[in-house]
Amino acid sequence: MNLQVIYCNHQTASLDLRERLAFTGAEQLAAAYTQLRDRFPNSETVVLSTCNRVELYTAQDNAAAAPTHDELAGFLSSFHGVPVEEFLGDLLQHSGSEAVGHLFRVCSSIDSMVLGEPQIVSQVKEAYRQAEANEACGPLTNALFQCAIRVSKRVRTETRLAEGRVSIASVAVGEFARGIFDRFDDKTVLVIGAGEMAEETLQYLRDDGVRDVLVVNRNPERARELAAEWGGQGFGIDRLAELLPTADVIVAATGSDQPIVDAEMFAKARDGQRERPVFVLDLGAPRDIAPEVAGLDDNVFLYDIDDLQETCQRNRKSRSHEIERALSIIENESERFMQDVYHRATGPIVKRLREQWSDVSQSEIERLRRKLSHLGDDDFGQVEQTVARIVNKLLHPPLEALRDEARDGTPHGLLDALRRLFHIRD
Amino acid sequence: MADVTIFCFFASYAVAFALDVLRLKKPGRTMWMVGVGFSAAGFVAHTLFLLNAADKGREELLPPLLSSSQDWTLVLAWLVVGFHLFLICCDRTLSVGVFLLPLVLALIGSSYFLADEPSQLLNADEAARRGWTMLHVSSLAIGSAGVLAGIVLSLMYLLQHRRLRQKGGSATGLKLPSLERLSRMNWWSVMVSVPLLTVGMGTGLVLLLFASEGARELSLGDPVVIINGISWLGLMGLFGWMLFTPRATGKQVAWRTLLACGFLLVTVVGLNVLASSSPGFSGHASTSLHRPDDGPVDTGGRS
Repeated sequence: MNLQVIYCNHQTASLDLRERLAFTGAEQLAAAYTQLRDRFPNSETVVLSTCNRVELYTAQDNAAAAPTHDELAGFLSSFHGVPVEEFLGDLLQHSGSEAVGHLFRVCSSIDSMVLGEPQIVSQVKEAYRQAEANEACGPLTNALFQCAIRVSKRVRTETRLAEGRVSIASVAVGEFARGIFDRFDDKTVLVIGAGEMAEETLQYLRDDGVRDVLVVNRNPERARELAAEWGGQGFGIDRLAELLPTADVIVAATGSDQPIVDAEMFAKARDGQRERPVFVLDLGAPRDIAPEVAGLDDNVFLYDIDDLQETCQRNRKSRSHEIERALSIIENESERFMQDVYHRATGPIVKRLREQWSDVSQSEIERLRRKLSHLGDDDFGQVEQTVARIVNKLLHPPLEALRDEARDGTPHGLLDALRRLFHIRD
Repeated sequence: MADVTIFCFFASYAVAFALDVLRLKKPGRTMWMVGVGFSAAGFVAHTLFLLNAADKGREELLPPLLSSSQDWTLVLAWLVVGFHLFLICCDRTLSVGVFLLPLVLALIGSSYFLADEPSQLLNADEAARRGWTMLHVSSLAIGSAGVLAGIVLSLMYLLQHRRLRQKGGSATGLKLPSLERLSRMNWWSVMVSVPLLTVGMGTGLVLLLFASEGARELSLGDPVVIINGISWLGLMGLFGWMLFTPRATGKQVAWRTLLACGFLLVTVVGLNVLASSSPGFSGHASTSLHRPDDGPVDTGGRS
């Protein structure tokens, strides 16, 4: 039984690389799962791709059948058309309990850029749902992801990680937009995209006093729905160029694999109003706003996800005590999960051993019943109970040893010994 | 109350400044409160000192602020401290002390080297000019405080702008007001200080005309008049440009304010230094009045 993860995230790889390795949209994910099934038919797989990370989890009963680091890197390379040497150094790998601990840290947002951010949980859930829809996951990944979600809940409940500024939008607005603008109630906010990130950003901006909200989305209906929730106006993406010049704050959070706003479009929007500062927050990965936009004039303040790193690091340092508490919970839960996994591996042997001994004792009791026919049912009941106790007492030491061994990993040696000693066949 | 010395409030401001610098490394509410406490204590001592000086001026039939050059400089520092206290009370997270308090300390420090003798610009027998002189000095004092504020605000704007463009955030703990607020405050500092300086300079010229009766003639070709005139024209240019160029960017406004106000400050300081180090130079200064047998009467730094 084997679990592993290969990943690159905001700590190991630049946004440039992450956006080249990202899996955007359900169609691309479906294609990825098809290829993964073809390449690794004996493995369960789950792909987790967010703006801060690209992670590939694999699990299989037979450790020998586990894909190697190079094989998984090769898959990423061929799928995205990115040469392996361009990212191999940024691609990390964990296996076994380290892989479990990694997912628990990710899901509890300890590994997130913004410590305590709640969005990662729904992203993990969505990743697992996609894997399920593409029939890529199985019992091991199911147990792993269910447990990760439970652990993240425990971390949020038992620590104070989720207090304070816990979203990328809140950090960006609190750290940068407030450095530009004094107030927001007289500003126009243009949100490009109508997903969860866009909604969360709107919530934060609304709390800061924003009244004039414009939402632009590929699906105009969805844009209007979201805008209506915040008392704004929704438009189709075709109106973007027309709306850009009206905005003081622009937040882009789409799943597009190409920039939606290029330098040319933005330059036109800035014509005749270069004296007006504009705060542009690009939360997309791949980016939605071309980086060249930042150089158009002195009053364009463009920030992407990687620009928030420094602030997030300070945020992290100030809550190091809570991180320690969360890590202790995660360590404890990882250990328990691994014990469960290993114990599960010993399950079939234990079951067969019990069945075998039970069969032997039952047949011996039947023989005894035939020989001692003068004994009544009550007497035989007593005999049966005594034999069952003897069987349990005899089985206890080997099963206890098996359980102890399973704490540190699948006890292959002991399982083999039990198979040979008691003639147990798979 | 009469025992208050310059050192008392200088030391208070110095401690407040040190705490503000420390707060950049280790922000905390306690340190902020102690810093504000020292600034406020210094401000109270400063106010008492000026009131004492004003009383002394009245005894000699001189108006407050005019008792001496030293008092005038201290009034300027007092105005800057008032502005500092106003800003930090509006937003306790701001780190304006690191910009304003060194200015205050420099002004107070320089006052040690200025004359604390009562000015002879207004003699007891010339009480009719008292109102004009009071208008001259007070408008120059407030106008100069506005110029100093303009310089500091422009510096803060440029620093904040650079930081935001370089995506630095407030990593050093230096928390500055938003660009929008700095730009607005900068605009107002110029709008208030330029008319006041104009009034101050105009009344100064009127006083010089009065004073020149019986003294040497006022010469428009005097280098001090020319330099002061150029500085004033620079400020007027900035004033007009800001009024009639609504599409100027905040950065342009900050740079121009810094240049115009900086030039004025350098000019005024330079003239004062030259006047105090070279009696020959002050002899030519139209802003310094010579009366027969009186010795130099300083108004130069103010006009």
